[in-house]
Amino acid sequence: MAKADIVGGVLLMAFGLLLLGWIIPAQTHQDTGAAVPPALLPQICAIGITILAAILTLNALRGKTPAGKPPMMKEWAAMGAVITIILAGAALFKFVHPAVAGAFVSFATMIYMGERRIHLLILLPAGLVLSIYVLFYELLGTAIL
Amino acid sequence: MMEELAAGFGAALTIYNIAFIFMGVAIGYLVGALPGLGKGTATAVAIPITFYIEPLAAIAFLIGISKGSTAGSAVSAILMNTPGEPSSAPTALAGYPLARAGKAQKALKMGLYASVIGDFVSTCVLILSAQTLADYALGIGPIELVAILAFSLTFIAALSGNSMVKGLIAGLFGILCSTVGTEIETSTERFTFGSFDLYEGLPLIPVAIGMLALSEMMIQIGDRRRLEEQTDLLRGSGKPEDAVVTLADWKRSAKSIIRGTGIGIFVGILPGLGASTGSFLSYGMARRAAEDPEAFERDGAIEGVAAAESADNAVVPASFVPLFALGIPGSVIAAILIGAFIIQGVTPGPLMFIEQAELMQGIYASMLAASLILLFIGYFGQNMFARIIKLSPSLVLSTVVFLCCLGSYLQGGGMFGLYIMVLFGVIGFFARKYEFSFVTFLIGFVVGDGFELALRQSIGLLKGTPEAILDHPVALVFWALTVLGVIAILRRKKAKATTEPAPAAAE
Repeated sequence: MAKADIVGGVLLMAFGLLLLGWIIPAQTHQDTGAAVPPALLPQICAIGITILAAILTLNALRGKTPAGKPPMMKEWAAMGAVITIILAGAALFKFVHPAVAGAFVSFATMIYMGERRIHLLILLPAGLVLSIYVLFYELLGTAIL
Repeated sequence: MMEELAAGFGAALTIYNIAFIFMGVAIGYLVGALPGLGKGTATAVAIPITFYIEPLAAIAFLIGISKGSTAGSAVSAILMNTPGEPSSAPTALAGYPLARAGKAQKALKMGLYASVIGDFVSTCVLILSAQTLADYALGIGPIELVAILAFSLTFIAALSGNSMVKGLIAGLFGILCSTVGTEIETSTERFTFGSFDLYEGLPLIPVAIGMLALSEMMIQIGDRRRLEEQTDLLRGSGKPEDAVVTLADWKRSAKSIIRGTGIGIFVGILPGLGASTGSFLSYGMARRAAEDPEAFERDGAIEGVAAAESADNAVVPASFVPLFALGIPGSVIAAILIGAFIIQGVTPGPLMFIEQAELMQGIYASMLAASLILLFIGYFGQNMFARIIKLSPSLVLSTVVFLCCLGSYLQGGGMFGLYIMVLFGVIGFFARKYEFSFVTFLIGFVVGDGFELALRQSIGLLKGTPEAILDHPVALVFWALTVLGVIAILRRKKAKATTEPAPAAAE
């Protein structure tokens, strides 16, 4: 965790400096005439993050970092898989049909988790989409698309 | 007070409301019983549905979920030695050995009764204290509010993880994220990067779902083998022989329940301590008070289950005291509830008692009703829930991922909400794995707007004379408490570090 904290601390410091030097000036209006400029709070946060990130890095370098559990390979893989499934679902939503997208998200997650029972792979996604339809369109009487 | 509450009961006890409270408690109990799914996930995922129902039913539904899931987490703790939430870990310590000894039903029932007692008493304390505190809060100005928010955030950052520095970074990042969108005073945009979707800021619900639920799903799916092993453990255990709570059990547990409820209420009112602190503290005290403390983990102890569950469940209603009285969320559930209040057009804080008096009394009545419904559902449904948690994790987790997407789509302005959820899901994943408190982030994000407004007003009121703060004793007290609290916490952590081996040395 010490190594992770050093890397994390340096990245956060860089992020804080990037905020102060470029993002905040570029993304906030400077000449509003307001007594308190819109950039004030973001600047306070950025300064705070930069200083605290420096402390985090120093603490890690001095070995004062509590033990932790960095992500395992299978957790990285799961993160990638979940993102891919959701983005693929978004593409299906846009180019095919929302119901197909919803069913796909559930189906693909089950497949990734090792589910191979055909009846469950069909019934759960279909049941979820149907339940949402009944809940919103039949019971609550409101369109959600 | 009683007349207003009676009117609240009139508004709350309709078939419509009761149905939603019932559904909320049942869903919450089930989700709580499933390992890895906590009340934060359940409440965040359910918020979008509440947009389409009446305000009182919506809030009651969410409160039902949070109450149900807190109590339900004892089921997997006792039957599978796997706490549904970290705050149920002490329940597993004392309850699982009982289940192995064939007393699962006894442990489950005592856990339920202690949960309901803790929850009910804590709700009564909330009802009796929040309005009084809110009356005082109405006299609080922006200078005091800045001090109170700074105190709350620092306190939460210090207590919600291993590292105070990381907690503060998370809190500041949360406030920074809250500044995205149109700035209130000058109506100019900030950090929109030319995107119209960002003009109204980052939508709360997709951010909350991403940070709480999706990031948790990424970790759970990654560690699915462990989940499957836990489910197998359940199949091999759970043979209840002793199914009743006897008078002797009540005598053994009464003190633990009373003490646990008191601890839970105290811990709940203080921002940031959380249910885990309450349940561990209560369990530890019950263990110390026992004649044979070693027997708690060796043979199991019914009073240990009672101590942990009464404290765990007393924390939730008590954590609403600062939310209702001051508009400050002291826990992740309170932060999520702010989102629900805003969706319903209600601003949490002391003015709620004046502007939304009927709604407040209705919420109180619904909370009391939820306690009783919890008893009913827990008593008659425990066996059924115990069977449901045998379901394959792939069915449960894929359903949650589906609901995350649906909720973010509904409350985040369509596909934009989905992308925000994914972004904050990734941020939440890193926050969890590298121990940056996502609770502090979320609370910083929720209170960020109010903090900025109060800060602006304070600067205006002080007119460039910082010494004018001396005319605001309440603010001074909170600034002093912030500094003293930080020093005390750092000293305690330093003392703890010197008594424990350093991580590097331990490795």
